Amino acid sequence: MQDTSDEEWTYDFLESLVKDVEENKNIRQCIDCGKCVGGCPASKISNFNIRKIIRKILRGDRNVLKDSDIWYCFLCERCKRVCPKENINIPLLILNLRNESFKRGYGPRYNDLTKYVEMSEKFLTNGSVLDEPLDGELPEERVKELDKICDFARIKYVFKASDKEQQNRKKRANNSSNKKRK
Amino acid sequence: MEIENLALDLDEIREKYPDNPLEFFEGKKLCLFKACLEKYFPGVRFGMKNLLEALGLEVTICKNQSCCSGTFFQRNLITRAQFAAINERNLNEINNQSDILLVSCNGCYNSLLRGRDFLKIPEVKEKTQRILDELEEKMGGEKYPGQYKILENPKLRIVHDLDFIYLIRNEIVRVLKYDLKGLKVASHYGCHYLNLERDRDMETYLKDKTKLEELITLFGGIPVDYSEKESCCGWGASQIVIHSEDALKITYKKLKSAENVNACFLLMPCPTCLYTLSKPEFREKMYEITDDKLEIATIHLNELIAILRGCEEEQCVSLRRSSPRIHLIYETITNEE
Repeated sequence: MQDTSDEEWTYDFLESLVKDVEENKNIRQCIDCGKCVGGCPASKISNFNIRKIIRKILRGDRNVLKDSDIWYCFLCERCKRVCPKENINIPLLILNLRNESFKRGYGPRYNDLTKYVEMSEKFLTNGSVLDEPLDGELPEERVKELDKICDFARIKYVFKASDKEQQNRKKRANNSSNKKRK
Repeated sequence: MEIENLALDLDEIREKYPDNPLEFFEGKKLCLFKACLEKYFPGVRFGMKNLLEALGLEVTICKNQSCCSGTFFQRNLITRAQFAAINERNLNEINNQSDILLVSCNGCYNSLLRGRDFLKIPEVKEKTQRILDELEEKMGGEKYPGQYKILENPKLRIVHDLDFIYLIRNEIVRVLKYDLKGLKVASHYGCHYLNLERDRDMETYLKDKTKLEELITLFGGIPVDYSEKESCCGWGASQIVIHSEDALKITYKKLKSAENVNACFLLMPCPTCLYTLSKPEFREKMYEITDDKLEIATIHLNELIAILRGCEEEQCVSLRRSSPRIHLIYETITNEE
C-alpha cells in the first residue's frame, strides 16, 4: 500500500455514505491492517479488496461507485468479525456504496437484476421469495401489509441500471458495426 | 426504552437447569420460523417438529409470518427502517402466540437479530414506528388485526436450531432410534453462524465452533476436519446468481476439500447453504467447469435427526433435490442388522 499524505484525505464522500449509520461511525479509524482481506471469499475470486475500497472512500474518490468490484462482496460478515476496531461494519458500508451506485444507474448486468424484481413480486404475492411456500401462502390481507411497508421504491434503481446497461449495449453494438464498416 | 436483541440466553438456562436444560422449555409455546428455502428441503422443518413432539413440547408455526426480508435488504431494495418494520411485524405476530422462536436458517436468524439491532439507532427506530403507524391508517377495517408496535420487553426469545439442539443434546439422544455407525462426517457452519456476534461474545464464539463436531460424536459418527471448513458455501448474498462461475469455484473448493478427507457427508445448520452445496444444477455446472464430478452428500442437522429417529426417508430428505448418495446414507444408518 502506497504512502499517502494527510492532505489527501477528504471526508465528504464518507460522511454522505455513513450519515446516520452508527455501526460505521469509526471508518476513519481504519488502521489498514488488512485483516479484512485475508480469508475474504470475494478477494479469492475477484479484484475485490476492501482495504483499497476504504482508502478510495477516505480520499473522496467517487469513482469507486462505478467499480464493478463492489458487487463481488459476499456479505459474509467475516471482515466485521476480524476487524480490531469497534464500529466498523464493512458489509453495511458495501450496502451503502451499492445504494449510491444504484441511484446513479450503475450496477450488475440487467439479466441478473431481473431476478431481484421477480423475487420482490413473489414476496408481494405470497410473503415468500419462492412460489408455493411450504405450509401455504401468507393470507391476502397480511400480504397487503407487506406492500404498504416496503413498496420496493428502490426497484426504480434496478430499472435505471438496466436502462443504462441497455444504452451501453447499443453504444457498443453501434461502435462495433461502425468499425466493421470502416 | 432499551431495545433488546431477543436472543435466548443459553448460559442462563445451563446455569438454572444444569442436569436437564429441556426442563426450561416444558410448558412453553414453541414456534418454528418459516424459512423460504425450507420449501426445497421440507425435512428441515419436519425434523425439528417431529423431534419437539417426541420430547413432549408444544410447537406451532405462525401463519401470518412473512419471509424475513433479509434477501431484499442485502440486495438494496428496502431501507433499514422498512427491513426493521417487516421484522417487527413478524415478531409482533409470533410474540402473540409463542414464547420461543426456533430458526433453522442462518440468514433468517441473522435478519431477526439485525432488525432489532437497527432499532438501537434513534433515527431508524423513529422511521420504523412511523411506517408501522401509517400501516394502521392505510389498512384499517375489520380485517386488520391491530396496530403493530416496536416490541418493548416482549416475552419472545429467539434461538438458532443448532444452539437449541446442542443445549438439549443429551435428551435428544434418548429419542433417537439409530446412530451414525461410525460414518465420517464433515461440518459446515455457514458464514452467518460463524461470523455472527449479535448474540454472543468472543469467548462464546470460539466455544460454538465445536458444536457440530460434538453432536456428530454424540450421535456415533466421526467428525473429520478439512481445510475449507470455515469457507463460504458460495451463496454469498446472490453471488451465485450475479457471478455464478466465480462463486461456484468457492462452492467446489469447499466440497472437494471435504471429499478429500473421505467425509461421507457434509453436515450443516442452514437450508440456504444446503441449497447452494446440493443443487443438482450447481453440481452439474461445477462438473462442466472443473471436469470433476463431486459425489459428497449434504445434509441439514434437522434432516439428520429425523433420519436418526427412524422417520420415513421421504419425510427426512427431499428426494427430488437431494445430493448424491443420500439414499445410501439413509440405508446405512437405518440398517437394522
